[in-house]
Amino acid sequence: MVLPLVLSLLILVAVAAPVLDRFVGRAAGWLLAVIFLALGAVLAVEAPRIITHDEEIEFSAPWMPAIDVLFDFRLDGTGLLFVILVLGVGALIMGYSARYFSRGKHGDYYFLMALFAAAMFGLVVADDVVLLFVFWELTTVCSFFLIGRTGHSANQPAIRTLLLTVAGGLALLGAVITMIVHIGTSRLSVILADPAWQEDPAFATTAGVLVIVAAFTKSAQFPFHYWLPDAMAASTPVSAYLHAAAMVKAGIYLLMRFSPALADNVTWNVLLIGVGLLTAIMAALFALQRHDLKELLAYSTVSQLGFLVAVIGIGTPGALAAAGVHTLAHALFKATLFMLVGVIDREVGSRDIRRLTGLRRVMPITAGLAALSALSMAGVPPLLGFISKEKLFASYLEAPGPAMVGPLVGAVAVVGAILTFAYSFRIVYGAFGGPTTQTRLREPSLVFLLPAAVSSIAGLVLGFFAGWLDPLIDRVVLDTRGTPGEIHLGLWHGVAPELYMSVVTIAVGVVLFLRREFIDRLLDRRLFPVTGVQVFERCHAAAITFGARVAELTRTFSPARHLAVPFVVLTAFGMGALLTGVRVPAFPEPVTRPIDWLLMALIAGGTVGIVLTRSRLAGLALLGVIGFVISLFFFILGAPDVGLTQLLVEVLTVVVAVLVLRRLPRSFHPTGALRKSVAAGVALLAGGAAAVGTFAFTGRREISGAGEYFLQEAEEETGGTNVVNTILVDFRALDTLGELTVLGLAGVVILAVLEVNGLMGGDRSPQAARYIGTPIGSPTGNTILARTVGRWLAPLLVLLSLYLLVRGHGEPGGGFIAALVGGAGFALAYLSASSAQAAPIRWPYVGLIAGGVGVATLVGVLGFGDGGFLRPLHADIPLFGGGYYHFSTALLFDIGVYLAVIGVTVTALNRLGVEDVPPGREAGDRRSDPDGSVAAEPDEVREPDSRYETTESLPGSGGRR
Amino acid sequence: MSLALVVGVLVAGGTFLVLQRGMVRIAFGFVLLGHAANLVLLSAGGAARRGEPLLSIADLATAADPLPQAFVLTAIVIAFAITIYMLTLAGAGEGDDDTEDRR
Repeated sequence: MVLPLVLSLLILVAVAAPVLDRFVGRAAGWLLAVIFLALGAVLAVEAPRIITHDEEIEFSAPWMPAIDVLFDFRLDGTGLLFVILVLGVGALIMGYSARYFSRGKHGDYYFLMALFAAAMFGLVVADDVVLLFVFWELTTVCSFFLIGRTGHSANQPAIRTLLLTVAGGLALLGAVITMIVHIGTSRLSVILADPAWQEDPAFATTAGVLVIVAAFTKSAQFPFHYWLPDAMAASTPVSAYLHAAAMVKAGIYLLMRFSPALADNVTWNVLLIGVGLLTAIMAALFALQRHDLKELLAYSTVSQLGFLVAVIGIGTPGALAAAGVHTLAHALFKATLFMLVGVIDREVGSRDIRRLTGLRRVMPITAGLAALSALSMAGVPPLLGFISKEKLFASYLEAPGPAMVGPLVGAVAVVGAILTFAYSFRIVYGAFGGPTTQTRLREPSLVFLLPAAVSSIAGLVLGFFAGWLDPLIDRVVLDTRGTPGEIHLGLWHGVAPELYMSVVTIAVGVVLFLRREFIDRLLDRRLFPVTGVQVFERCHAAAITFGARVAELTRTFSPARHLAVPFVVLTAFGMGALLTGVRVPAFPEPVTRPIDWLLMALIAGGTVGIVLTRSRLAGLALLGVIGFVISLFFFILGAPDVGLTQLLVEVLTVVVAVLVLRRLPRSFHPTGALRKSVAAGVALLAGGAAAVGTFAFTGRREISGAGEYFLQEAEEETGGTNVVNTILVDFRALDTLGELTVLGLAGVVILAVLEVNGLMGGDRSPQAARYIGTPIGSPTGNTILARTVGRWLAPLLVLLSLYLLVRGHGEPGGGFIAALVGGAGFALAYLSASSAQAAPIRWPYVGLIAGGVGVATLVGVLGFGDGGFLRPLHADIPLFGGGYYHFSTALLFDIGVYLAVIGVTVTALNRLGVEDVPPGREAGDRRSDPDGSVAAEPDEVREPDSRYETTESLPGSGGRR
Repeated sequence: MSLALVVGVLVAGGTFLVLQRGMVRIAFGFVLLGHAANLVLLSAGGAARRGEPLLSIADLATAADPLPQAFVLTAIVIAFAITIYMLTLAGAGEGDDDTEDRR
């Protein structure tokens, strides 16, 4: 229970962090540090059980039972090692952040850092590969935002980092799927114990390589190494935590975790040792070239991660022990160095070792702590870094394969260690050595230095008392190799090969340091023809160019060309199906009634008209006619709710269309005869196929089982008698919720489109001038009828809509219909106003839409009270004078529907009904319009309202062009 | 038969309109195609049973299938949202609602 508890508390802390930040400012860092330590203490209570008794803390709860994915958590020694990093270094960095940042708001920073800690914690305790993958990706996302929040200059690095680490995440996903499919479970501990890793080399190598790619991207190994220096665009605490101590160690964790399954796989050994050492040496050389301390530390991190990867590749118990110790040692010295570089940056204002000099005299404590950590990194006794480096050396000599491999790997590692020594001294000497020029600088406050002091001194203390770590490292070996480690850490191991290696490292390292000017000159050139960032950018650009080429094949700005394709293809399919001779059952009962033919004739007439007319208004009128006949058809087919909805939608469509049409030329664009005949051909074929298909494939059956069920059970199950409405708000409310979201989104998109593009100006026709001075020309005069009627009709419509809303469960009505009636009321109110400014709707439409979707979702959540999302709750409320009112939360859901639909309708009315071209757009734009109907009009016509043009452009006048 | 013919007419008209030039006609075409799709849905429920599925008055033997009706009802409202969105596109921006480059 303790694992999910800690995890949920970390997530809770993340959510609460912005609030804390608001109240206590940057000092929220101290609070978070204390919380991290407290959570660490909670786990420390359990730690002895894990370390000394070889037990694990486990927790399991269902997550996706259908595919057998669980919230499986498991904490063993390896997990504990990384938890110490996450919470321990996390606490230090949080405390450091409280001083590093200037006063002000840093809520998002603390949120992301705490969320990252939660993700990282989840990653190392997850015992389900799907869960592991989710946390893995979450750390990537946190890293992206933490880099990106630094500012504009960090955008490109953040995106590069994201693309690269996400690519690695895809590899991990591939590995996860391969393992689940092959082994049949998603439980990590079971997967790792499966014999398939040994028995099926093809599977083991495939999954192993995918795991390696994932780990290499996360832990910045060649050829993915360059993202880590790139990520230094982030602020220093982020670099110290994510990009030195914790996130980049996720790859190391993954490799250690899969070590029991893959340590004997040759591909695994070769790739890890080869790439690891290559990265170690290459990055160390890069580090020696750098002058920016932070960049230098970034390459140093890449190099150290290379050492870790290589030693995991060796795969012996001693090697895994070395990996464990060095992970800890590296986290301590590297976090310290990052924090101190941040301190220098803050105090001196530079991180460039060419500008920094002699700081040891003015900042002696900072210098001392930095030297301590750098010596640990260089592998100088008596620090923890010395012990871990000796362990690494000893392990490299055990490299698997022919006898010469061990010494060879050892020799390469010594070269890497010498370079490490050299750049460690370069850091210390660069910042603190040399003559002191800036004598006015002072040591920062001790509180600022405290976190760095803790981790730095921990490296010293653990050097002397390394034996304290033995049980933990033993346990890590047991987890990763399956055998007890028998590890004894200490400064003195007697005269052994690794001691000679250390002596050589330090001796040559000192020589390199003494000849530093020669080395600088030697390395002051490009070591490789291209940089990683350049390669990445080229690949990125090439991918985009390739995508554009592919799109080029079908790119055209004519929607007709795009639309023609599906019509032609679908029609061809339909004809093909008919030609193969489908046998269809007979109709059970006659499906056609005489009145159908009347409606059919009306629809056909309307359709022919709308196809032939060139007048937009005539087209709109015919569209309305067709819509009304269709709604009649719905009534005749026994669908009163559908018919009502159609009727109301038709009214509102016409209103909205009028608001748009008044801005457009009066006639449609002319098209050529060829195009017309091609379109007609396609249209006739499509229509024919649709008719034959509908005739052949629909209605030749009795009522569906589902329909039968709803008719039988609706009243019993829901208390409603309007079966269609019960389906909408009860049986299939999830569909309705989805639909509502689409609807709401359409409203938001309309707002967005108009926000970006604005509306084109109104079409002021010269004829309008004729009516000036008459009631028709006056915005108030020509709406007198509408206003008089609207004054009492509009409120009545809104009342009626509320009535329809409430009764919907039993009689025709419900949220959709009610909202459309209400919308019609608003439309009337809108149309009868004398100008857009006077229109009585000033509603927060986005609020309405969001409120509607929100209410509906909330009602859905209430349903959990009775066993499931969107399950309606019922109550019988006693009425005065006897009887009950049957209340169901489905009504509340319907209110959500109502609000959203009203919101979208009001959005369209209000935003399309605005009078003038939005600011920033020249009214003169209209002059370029083919319509050419802009006239210098008298002032009175400058403020006409929308009805004015509508009156003016009645059908008939449309034919003038 | 009658429904099938109506669907055919609407699909033919709608197809013709969406292949024309100008956003408004494309929007009109989509409205017609939407009508056609809705009628196909209702036809799939069976046009022989035409009683209202209102339990207070319904005869269960002849009541129409309520499920396609629920589908159609939501479809109408979504189609409405899409229609006004397309009309907004027609009314937004410079010039007119032309969808093709003028030559």
